[in-house]
Amino acid sequence: MGENLNQATRKGFLVDSSRCIGCRACQVACKQWNKLPAEKTVNKGNIENPRDLTPVLYNRIKFIESVDGDKVSWKFFSERCLHCGEAGCIKVCPSPGALYRNSDGVVVFNKEKCISCKYCVSACPFNVPRYGEDDKVAKCDLCHSRITGGMVPACAKTCPTGCLTYGNRSALIAKAKAAKKTLYGETDLSGLGIVYAMDGSPEQFGLPATPSIPLSIFLWKDVIKPLGILGFWGSIGAMLLHYVTIGPKRIDDDDSDEKGVGHE
Amino acid sequence: MSKYVERFQTPERVLHWIVTVSFFTLLLSGLGLYSRLFTGYFNLFGGGVNAILVHKTAGVIFFISSISLFLKHLKDITKFDDDDREWFKTQGGYLSKGESHFNIGKYNPGQKIFAVYIGIATMILGTTGLFIWFPLFFPRWLVQLSLMTHGLMFVGSIMFVIVHIYLATIGNPGTIDAMLYGTVRRKWAMKHHPKWYKEVSGGE
Repeated sequence: MGENLNQATRKGFLVDSSRCIGCRACQVACKQWNKLPAEKTVNKGNIENPRDLTPVLYNRIKFIESVDGDKVSWKFFSERCLHCGEAGCIKVCPSPGALYRNSDGVVVFNKEKCISCKYCVSACPFNVPRYGEDDKVAKCDLCHSRITGGMVPACAKTCPTGCLTYGNRSALIAKAKAAKKTLYGETDLSGLGIVYAMDGSPEQFGLPATPSIPLSIFLWKDVIKPLGILGFWGSIGAMLLHYVTIGPKRIDDDDSDEKGVGHE
Repeated sequence: MSKYVERFQTPERVLHWIVTVSFFTLLLSGLGLYSRLFTGYFNLFGGGVNAILVHKTAGVIFFISSISLFLKHLKDITKFDDDDREWFKTQGGYLSKGESHFNIGKYNPGQKIFAVYIGIATMILGTTGLFIWFPLFFPRWLVQLSLMTHGLMFVGSIMFVIVHIYLATIGNPGTIDAMLYGTVRRKWAMKHHPKWYKEVSGGE
């Protein structure tokens, strides 16, 4: 939908999940920069905390626990907005400027323009956007306010292991490929802004193997919408054509004119 | 003998106009939600937030009034007889210039199909509208399906309504009288709904 995405200059993240130690400093740094309050969470017998993204939690580390005999191991996954090259949220957003792509190719939002329709919640391939008490969209915007000033997003700045690396997306991909990493998100949805180097399959991390915009959302926006506009004008055209070719069914009697026949 | 015969009683006409007004309110307030191409229509309501509010309010009014109208007509619009089948064979004479005569009751088959479609569409638009209204309370797949179906049923409705308005106004002169005044001319009734006219005029 008229998105101006320059793949060469696009900024993004490389998330090397093998480097993550689950310290969650990224969660804290994000809350600090974006001035997001802490929330009460529930202990469910796992040290993963919190358990889901919320309107005031734009990124979190998902703990994927596996038990092998008496050994417990974790995989860590940085869950957040993936800044799709073809973004479902931007595609469906009816309010211009509420969800848009900035000059770095990052999907950002403006709460003042958000009209609370929540279509983005339905259109996101990864179920990321959240709505809080203000009834406005909330999600990771890669620290739009920092990157426009040339700074690194708060989470990447604070990451102590180099798991989160911010920079030119194609350069990050080239580097990861040179290091023989298996990448997720390189080409799907015109490339995700967040590219993962994964030590495991996408399914293990709770990701779809080939992410796409939900089918009914695609049909709604790319099939029904254009055909509907065609149908609207087609119907009006057909009626006008009928009127001037076959014509109306008039009643032949003397008073048909005085009743305003032929006027709407 | 009066030149006119009653076709719709006042309460029925009022109900119909409530349906009409709420339909067009829904159309105008929903266009900006249908596509960003029509984002300018939000200005009619002072922005998208208000347009959504108007859309929800008009939606409730339309749902109740349209379903009421549908139920009121249910008996007349769901039965098709042999005369109706005759009408179908030549599309009611609408696709040719010559005179055509059908023994049609209160509603012709085209009107019946329109009424049934709008009745079903109202139920579907209302149900899907409810899911879209509270998307966080329903499964994501259901809301996604609802967004698509809501758009689809709207497209069908607006196309049917365009035909409905044409046939009820300039396409069949004299028809609009039924909704404006409640009465139609006897000549009109004899031409368009002879079987119904016989019933109401005592079979002359």
